[in-house]
Amino acid sequence: MAAESGVFTFAPAIAVLPFVSFLVALFAGKYMPKKGAVAGIAATAGSLLLSLVMLAQVASGHAHHMELYTWVGGEGVPFELTFGILLDQLSTLMLVIVSTIAFLVHVFSLGYMNDEGETGLPRYYAELGLFSASMLAFVFSDNVLMAFMFFELVGLCSYLLIGFWFRRPGPASAAKKAFLVTRFGDYFFLIGVVGIFATFGTGTFGGPGVEESFPELAEAAIAGGASVNTFFGLSPRAWFGVLGLLVLGGVMGKSAQFPFHTWLPDAMEGPTPVSALIHAATMVAAGVYLVARMYGFYALLPTVLAVIAFVGGFTALFAATMGVVKDEIKQVLAYSTISQYGYIMLALGGGGYVAGVFHLTTHAVFKALLFLGAGSVIIAMHHNENMWDMGGLKDRMPVTYYAFLSGSLALAGIVPFSGFWSKDEVLYETLVHGLGGSPLLLAAYAMGLLAVFFTGFYTFRMVLLTFHGEPRTDLAEDPEPVRWNVKIPLAILGVLAAVIGVINLVPVHALESSVPEFLHDWLYHGPEGLNGEHYHELITSPEFAGYSAGAIPGLGELGTLFASAGLSLAVALAGSAVALALYRAPAPEEHTAKLGSLKTLLYENYYQDEYQVWLAQDLTEETVAKNAKRFDDGVVDGFVDRVSDVSLVSGHFLRRVQTGIVSNYAALITLGLVVLLVAFGIVGGWFGGVFA
Amino acid sequence: MAVPVQYYLVLSAAVFCIGLFGILTRRNALMFLMSVELMLNAANINFVAFSFQHGNLTGQVFSLFTMALAAAEVAVGIGIILVLYRNFADVDVTKATTLRW
Repeated sequence: MAAESGVFTFAPAIAVLPFVSFLVALFAGKYMPKKGAVAGIAATAGSLLLSLVMLAQVASGHAHHMELYTWVGGEGVPFELTFGILLDQLSTLMLVIVSTIAFLVHVFSLGYMNDEGETGLPRYYAELGLFSASMLAFVFSDNVLMAFMFFELVGLCSYLLIGFWFRRPGPASAAKKAFLVTRFGDYFFLIGVVGIFATFGTGTFGGPGVEESFPELAEAAIAGGASVNTFFGLSPRAWFGVLGLLVLGGVMGKSAQFPFHTWLPDAMEGPTPVSALIHAATMVAAGVYLVARMYGFYALLPTVLAVIAFVGGFTALFAATMGVVKDEIKQVLAYSTISQYGYIMLALGGGGYVAGVFHLTTHAVFKALLFLGAGSVIIAMHHNENMWDMGGLKDRMPVTYYAFLSGSLALAGIVPFSGFWSKDEVLYETLVHGLGGSPLLLAAYAMGLLAVFFTGFYTFRMVLLTFHGEPRTDLAEDPEPVRWNVKIPLAILGVLAAVIGVINLVPVHALESSVPEFLHDWLYHGPEGLNGEHYHELITSPEFAGYSAGAIPGLGELGTLFASAGLSLAVALAGSAVALALYRAPAPEEHTAKLGSLKTLLYENYYQDEYQVWLAQDLTEETVAKNAKRFDDGVVDGFVDRVSDVSLVSGHFLRRVQTGIVSNYAALITLGLVVLLVAFGIVGGWFGGVFA
Repeated sequence: MAVPVQYYLVLSAAVFCIGLFGILTRRNALMFLMSVELMLNAANINFVAFSFQHGNLTGQVFSLFTMALAAAEVAVGIGIILVLYRNFADVDVTKATTLRW
């Protein structure tokens, strides 16, 4: 332990560095040349460096777990509450992703915020620093309670940053909405955390040197080898299902899954770098990351997995259809983000742990890229986000265009860009497990596949409207140039989005086994109980999830793999081709009118906001809360008021005894004394036989 | 030879009752204070009488303390009366009735 800790003792610094930058920007930001940006850039660069060191260390075979601080525990306490760090294959990978994106977004912010002359920059960089710190700490949390705390902290930072321009009504209201909707989900998560502690007596995820972890205890309990506390008379399996669903509430809120997705499109009111960092690449990933982190628990529960897969598949399709008609570039990207997180949920629910993490990785890169690209366009267009006012930006901002195109091809899933490989694997894993005897997974797969078509369509509609054709306004004719601090992050991410798929080339590996599946091998070599191999055993074990891999009849395993890949590519190409056919013209027209009444439905986002407002306002506020208030005012307060009325009225009469005249008081005292003396006298028998 | 203790007690009771009567009937604050002093001194007479009766000095020592206490009380009392006069231009205790509900 001591020998291998070495460099791991620096692990807390990954989160501490951005926290220091938060303090620096908050208190000294206004005296600094870039208003705190330099501190943030330095801190996130340091975190990135340290994360890479940790990754290398873990790669050399040393997953690491350490406890930092026990804040509740000791003799006679049923469980310990601790802060600790778990560095394994999954968390170090995520640390590298988060710190990379955070670093690039800080650099990009120089162009988007500083160069645009925004005010309140120290606040902006402080919140960005706090976000990076809490997100990184969330990722390396070793237990579910610590994860929950930082889960809430990133939620707080999201609220603050969406409402960065809080003097305008839009961002302020969007921030409130995001806060409330995610908090609604987190409420279930909190109950789930309490339930996990009450059930297992521990909330640790596991890792090297950890004696008890709740996924392992749950596994043993279902297998009959351990006893745990269950509640409401449920069997362990059913009770774990309840716990899994409760935690899933937080996941769905944070990762914007149906029906908690409504906050994410509104969150686009925040500054675009914030959208890239928080609402595309990292914070929304926190939800699905949590599922991956606890996968040893979820893999035991086929019902919960089916719910995850179905919600994911449905969200992927549902959000993609809404993205089709949006006019603002960031709105398209927001719906695309919801849709892509649906895919990750689909993969995790469909038994594709590696596929889920893979898509999480590639999506973080290409979606951050697309948002930063959109940010660059927005700078150029003087903060006009309407795509119908753009057009022809291709020749005027080539770096942005090519980077954006790389991200778009990845998003649409066109070979060989990264999104193709990961999305294909997601769909493939779901398909084979569905064919193995799960019609629900097949239905989820069908929705995911259909969503690929819409993804291709809205992606290329966005690219064509923004960059191609003739400029449609004077602004697009002569856009404001962007500087290096915008172009460099775009270039880095643009290259990454194109090539990051090489970390897991499943179809190529199947053909030529000398090509390694890096991510697959990486995740399969995690610490005991936390690696992909173990999860795979759980998923396929009939005792637990009981998934089995099937194949399309007559094609075999390899054939199914290529049929799936070919199918998803064909669908993506079809969607892209339709977009090309409709919007390629120099002066494209709006085709949404042809959708008829469907257009209104899509524009209004299926009236999701309306029914949620109805739930919150008409039902909860007007009906439930009003009646509760009436009961409170009438019965509870009424009783208290009557009691106080009695004492008030009696006091009103009794106070007349107090005349304020000293002589009266003296007379009363004397009288009292006399009465007392007489009483004593009678009791003591002083008066002889008179009263006897 | 010596005066029996009963006479002292009667004297003391008489002085006390005069003081009590003064408190109950007088309206002048100064008279009030004097009445209080009378009652205190009635107690002093008792102390000295019983001290004499029992043949030890404890009662006499106590009466010295009582006198010191009475002096302090008068100092405070006169201070209060002075303020009373400033506020109400009178030392009639039945007029100063504002310090109530």
